Amino acid sequence: MSDAVSNIFLPREATIVRVEAPTESERHFTLKMADGSRMEFEPGQILEAGLFGYGEIPLGFASSPTRKNTFDIVVRSVGRVSKAINALKKGDSLYLRGPLGRGFDLSKIRGHDVLIVAGGIGLCPTRSLIQYILDRRGEFKRFILFYGARDPKQQLFLDDLAVWRKSKDVEYHETVDKGDPSWKGNVGVITKLFAKTNIDPDTRAVVCGPPVMFKFVIAELDKLGIPRENVFVDLERRMKCGVGKCGHCQINDKYVCTDGPVFSFAQMQGLEEAI
Amino acid sequence: MSVSFIAEQDFKGFVSALIQARPVYGPTAKRSRFVFARLQTPEQLRLDYDVTILPPKKLFFPTSQDIVRFDGGKFDGCIQPEEMILLGVHFYDVKAIDMTDLLFRDRNPDWNYLANRERTTIVASNIQTVAPRAFWASAAREVEPKGHDAFLTKIAGGYVFEARTPKGKALLKHGSFQKASETQTQEARKANQDVLGKCPEAHRADAAVIAAKVRAAFKNEELWAKFAEDCFSCGSCNTVCPTCYCFDVQDAWNVDQKSGARTRYWDACLSEDFAKVSLGAGASENFRETRGERFRHRFMRKAAYLNEKLGAPACVGCGRCSAACTADIADPVRVIEQILKA
Repeated sequence: MSDAVSNIFLPREATIVRVEAPTESERHFTLKMADGSRMEFEPGQILEAGLFGYGEIPLGFASSPTRKNTFDIVVRSVGRVSKAINALKKGDSLYLRGPLGRGFDLSKIRGHDVLIVAGGIGLCPTRSLIQYILDRRGEFKRFILFYGARDPKQQLFLDDLAVWRKSKDVEYHETVDKGDPSWKGNVGVITKLFAKTNIDPDTRAVVCGPPVMFKFVIAELDKLGIPRENVFVDLERRMKCGVGKCGHCQINDKYVCTDGPVFSFAQMQGLEEAI
Repeated sequence: MSVSFIAEQDFKGFVSALIQARPVYGPTAKRSRFVFARLQTPEQLRLDYDVTILPPKKLFFPTSQDIVRFDGGKFDGCIQPEEMILLGVHFYDVKAIDMTDLLFRDRNPDWNYLANRERTTIVASNIQTVAPRAFWASAAREVEPKGHDAFLTKIAGGYVFEARTPKGKALLKHGSFQKASETQTQEARKANQDVLGKCPEAHRADAAVIAAKVRAAFKNEELWAKFAEDCFSCGSCNTVCPTCYCFDVQDAWNVDQKSGARTRYWDACLSEDFAKVSLGAGASENFRETRGERFRHRFMRKAAYLNEKLGAPACVGCGRCSAACTADIADPVRVIEQILKA
């Protein structure tokens, strides 16, 4: 028994290729594996990102595996670990375990209209799917993206947003809970965006955002008549191990880190603790 | 595999020889209670114990365990199991160890536990004294105790030693064993059978009925809130449970501020912040915010969620939680009785 291959807690070293500061509290890192290997993952999967002496935090991949060689994560400064990670610079190392969990089941999404509803930092893990769809646009039909942020200063991926606003490949709608004098766009909660366009009941819907958002968005999807097996939610929970042992991320009898973080809404029936 | 007998006067010599050969852990007295501890002398072994404060899982899954050590940019695992003998495990704890074996092996095998477990020879022993809150005769009856290497039963004049595996059989060479007679084997069987009638508490329904009723009671918020009204969220019920295995992970530097360890510690799903996440800007979300929700989660884990995977509920009836709970609200027999009535 070799410790090196069998210890599920041993991370791999990654190197920071680029750091951006989209907001005051968030850092957008572009990474590559230090040994030159490729990080093989699927949109929606997660990883544990850590720094020795600080700890690890669970994060979603914020880029698509269709983008070669590098991959992205976005970290919000919240606690000890995230603050330490966000102080890192280009060329520094991060220690990763992953990919972990189950991402979006692309076989169920391909060939259909897709609606992505992302609230706040929920845009980060869904960006892995957004980029995937844009990179393989022909594999999907209509693509609608709703993005809601607390205020204009909290918007992430500003370069992406600028492209999506003009793109013919995605019908992009955005809103902020609270505007500012420079904001000319929609103001209000994300569910208001449902009035902006017609959505076919055969659409595959993906939802990711703060816990409070799910209920309201699901209610809108119900109104549209989208069957629950075609609704996919990307859930957040406290995680320590990321490998289905430590118990922190449990929703009823499921582990978000290994059974999820993406669940179909149909799968969540009977999971009273899910939303 | 084989059934042997060792006379009372030879037993200490056997335990001495085991201690000489390898580290031996067994039940020892600690004031008025018992704990699994490393034996220095055979006299310390108290096979007449009723129940230990902590279950023997602590030998494979220590209360704190380094899982990665680091030094500057270098890091490595620290799986360094030692060969050991675990002597005197009651059958309910044998069942519980078998359950944690399965759970640590499931999906992503965790060798930080499994390596310790595999290097251990487990000698189970019969229950000579019944704990005041025990209900093992009616708990997890769907599974047989397994995974142990031998079973030791006290009978008149000595012990019957039933080897179940080659590892168990290998211990025979350390003592003056002889082949057990049919009468001795029968006496041991009877002792293990008779003790089942001596539990002070018992579930009155089958595990399947209990599982269905407990699960169906999920949305009865009022009931769970009432159960947990006096809960201190201390997690004692988790800490003493032989099938609880949740943990926290924390990093710490050594004094050189360069090297250090990533360590896991036992955690408790009853504690307030177990499922709490920070969202930034001072906001947070606690996915099991109330005492009732946390109390319910534990009961679901013990009575319903894991049954399919384990083949039995994840509660073996040791009664440790009943006795450890400060408010005395954790007793599974009493709680489940009330759920069945609700």
